[in-house]
Amino acid sequence: MSTNSKGFSRRWVLGGSAVAFAAGPLGMPFVRTAHAQVATYKAGVITSLSGENILGGNLTKRGYDLWAAAINAKGGVEVAGERFKVDMFYGDDQSNPATGADAAERLIVQNEVDVLFGPYTSGSTIAVQPICQKYQVPMISGSAESPNVWKAKPEFNFGIIPAVDTTAGKSLAVLAKLSNPTAKTIAVIGVNEPFSKETGEGFRDGAKEAGLEVVAYELVPASGDLTPVISKIAALNPDIVAVGGHEEPLINVVKTSKSLNFRPKALIMHYGVTDPAFAEALAADADGTCGVSVWLPSVPYKDDVFGTAREFAEMAQKKSGHEPDYTEAACAASGLVFGDAVKRLGKKPALTPEDRVALKDAIAETDIQTFYGPIKFEKEGNHYHDNVQPVPVLIQIQSGKTVAVGPKEAASANLTYPLPAWK
Amino acid sequence: MVPALDLFLQTLLNGLLIGGVIATFTIGFQLAFGVLHVIDFAVGGWVVLGGYLGYYMAAGLGVDGFLAIPVAFVLFGAIGYLIGPILYNVRNSRTARPELMALALTFGLFTLLRGGMLTAWGFNTHSVPTALSGESLAVGPVTVPLIRVAAAVFAIAIAGGLFLFLYRTRYGLAIRATAENRQNAALMGVNIRRLSANVYGLYAGITAMAGVLMGAIFSVNPEVGLRYTLFAFFVAVLAGLGSVGGALVAALLLGVIEAFVATYVGSSYSLLAIFATLFLVLLLSPSGILRHGL
Repeated sequence: MSTNSKGFSRRWVLGGSAVAFAAGPLGMPFVRTAHAQVATYKAGVITSLSGENILGGNLTKRGYDLWAAAINAKGGVEVAGERFKVDMFYGDDQSNPATGADAAERLIVQNEVDVLFGPYTSGSTIAVQPICQKYQVPMISGSAESPNVWKAKPEFNFGIIPAVDTTAGKSLAVLAKLSNPTAKTIAVIGVNEPFSKETGEGFRDGAKEAGLEVVAYELVPASGDLTPVISKIAALNPDIVAVGGHEEPLINVVKTSKSLNFRPKALIMHYGVTDPAFAEALAADADGTCGVSVWLPSVPYKDDVFGTAREFAEMAQKKSGHEPDYTEAACAASGLVFGDAVKRLGKKPALTPEDRVALKDAIAETDIQTFYGPIKFEKEGNHYHDNVQPVPVLIQIQSGKTVAVGPKEAASANLTYPLPAWK
Repeated sequence: MVPALDLFLQTLLNGLLIGGVIATFTIGFQLAFGVLHVIDFAVGGWVVLGGYLGYYMAAGLGVDGFLAIPVAFVLFGAIGYLIGPILYNVRNSRTARPELMALALTFGLFTLLRGGMLTAWGFNTHSVPTALSGESLAVGPVTVPLIRVAAAVFAIAIAGGLFLFLYRTRYGLAIRATAENRQNAALMGVNIRRLSANVYGLYAGITAMAGVLMGAIFSVNPEVGLRYTLFAFFVAVLAGLGSVGGALVAALLLGVIEAFVATYVGSSYSLLAIFATLFLVLLLSPSGILRHGL
């Protein structure tokens, strides 16, 4: 190739690039104008779309998207007699709290969202809270369950799911009460990251109230091998083993316990057991594992957007192929909170900075019934802005299906206790 | 026997077995470094790919996960053989700092593998069912998890096999010569380019085989790869980069330290103990615990 043709080629490429760069900003106003013709509310979702929490991240996204799809199908959110659709914007926290904070800032500054829907993990939620405070944008968190999220008294963040310290202990007390012969000892494992650790603490503190002796309390690193800790606990032979963690460590606890031929009389975990992927990964070995749920498709609640809990479950199943769990339901319910608050506020899109502050105040006054259950946020104390209304249900996997086993008024099956030896 | 002694013996066994498990995916990594002089960030990607192969063979064909081991070697060995020359070209290019360019290439490969798996197979966690999964043997007071024994035996067999291959065959001699001095080896008639492709293929195949076992012992999803990459790197540094025998010793050492610290001090201190060991070895013996390469 001659020097001339090389020069021409480089110039051509550079020139083309310059035109492309120039065309971008020039073209933008037309796009904006087209958008401006139809006023919509802008909602930003920050969650884990990559990284180790991607499973839960997508689950939360599905929940938020279900609400957007349902409300847009009805013509949008009704405000002052008109309906306005919702545009969803997404920010990936890459399973890293600091990245979550950056994503939130981008959604607020660049996408100019009116409201944020919170991350899957409590760690990211805690990191995003100061950004919401800084820009005075309300956030509704459909997943965060760590009590530390609410202990910080976040002015602009609201939680749909009760914190684990209110649910883990209560469920353990139900399990202890249902156990026959009565369970006396417990060992607690918590994965050393915010939600899982506090779930472990919830079990540990709840154990004392349930009259169980805590023979071991172990914090384990998320990436560590569980054989040593399971061996240690097996040597203590507790009646119950309780685990705080996300999906992968929970699966590994069961696999490691089986490989060491150790099976306690009851194995209770918190979140993750209701996720169909848990039972799928473990097949028959998942049977007998107990979990905690603040919502099931069988709960007797309903609302105008989703209908009954069962109808919501069917809609979610149709979209994703999986039965939704309580996090997906709570994320969908987060949208209902936004819809109710903005309707009461009576402000059409786009919201001004002052409107967003007023929206925060309107959300704080929420008192609604949804397919997920009652939603009303605490106004003081350690669970400030958390919805502690839902009553936790003790569930157990039986023949591959999730069934409610306690408390008695919510139970649809008997608790299998003690668990049989591994097959 | 007193329970305290039971726990001690169980902990020792746990440590040796997890060491064996870690060694499975570190041995090939060492071989690749020894010859190609590249720290391969993609090691975790090959492990996870092996795990997925095991899962899909078991779920799709209904066969035992162990049958995926030879398939993983052939399939990913072939893919590695094709990637090897690219890595060789980058590592031996005349650009400034080719070693960093090669590192960036493997990091990119790792990201590509992770993203590709995520897109193709989703984010759910899976498990590889095998005949030995969940099976154990009671030897006195100690419970022996058979799947981990299989992994440890696999690691020893691979290390032994590689040792025989490297020290008892002409091709092994060529590999060692290349590892020691590439120019001299080339002058002696060794086709360095083809040898590099073969070694990278061998490494990718071995590592993917180890991945099938990892999927059976733990679980597999696209995100666990980074963990294996880090562990391979820890072990490699402790062993001395490029030392295949050292990898086995270092993995066993790390496994035993992790098990004892987790059992007797607390699980939250196990990573601290691993880093402290690494730091100490780098301080006292920077070339690794066995102080020699291939």
